[in-house]
Amino acid sequence: MAEQRIVVTIDENGKINASTEGIKGKMCLDELQKLLGDLADLESIKKTDEFYQANTIKSQNKIEVKK
Amino acid sequence: MSAVIKTATPFIDLECLCKALEAVGCGFRVEGNKVITNREDLRLGFQEFQKDTFGRYALFAYSYADKTQADFIKIVEKQYNVIYQNKLEEIERLRLEEEKKRLEQERLAFIDKQKTTIIERAKEQGYSIKEENIKGKVKLVLLRNTY
Repeated sequence: MAEQRIVVTIDENGKINASTEGIKGKMCLDELQKLLGDLADLESIKKTDEFYQANTIKSQNKIEVKK
Repeated sequence: MSAVIKTATPFIDLECLCKALEAVGCGFRVEGNKVITNREDLRLGFQEFQKDTFGRYALFAYSYADKTQADFIKIVEKQYNVIYQNKLEEIERLRLEEEKKRLEQERLAFIDKQKTTIIERAKEQGYSIKEENIKGKVKLVLLRNTY
């Protein structure tokens, strides 16, 4: 059993920061897209090393969107 | 012979006129569209401001060219202008406060809608949700177990 974790922070201005843990490869971005897709304009994406390691158990990626 | 006259600021705001009269120490009472002062007048008994067809409170008195009357109008006008200006500034301050409140409510409603949408979508995706509020920020921790 693997745990998938997404932490979403909405700041005072409605700016969103989101990071994933335990979601492999490109799937993490797909998950964030499903949750946040149309809620704000994308400002930046930071792909961590784990993003490119599709078979590892844990991946961590961050996405930051503007209000 | 010619004459040059200069008129005073029209007293169009009753509240400001009353405050101006108070400021110059002139007693008065308001009766309908009249502001009856305690200034004695040769013919009228007491001088009074009456709302005319233009919407201003005009002083009705014995003589148009009466010096004491002109002096009285001048000191009332001075106070009236200060009070009127203060009133405009107060209105503007209140308007800005209302606008600020409206923007604040709009911002909070926007954030709440963002949060609600994310929570709804996360539930649909099978996540459990933990919500925290930290110094004005909303933190959502979404957890899901896969096999």
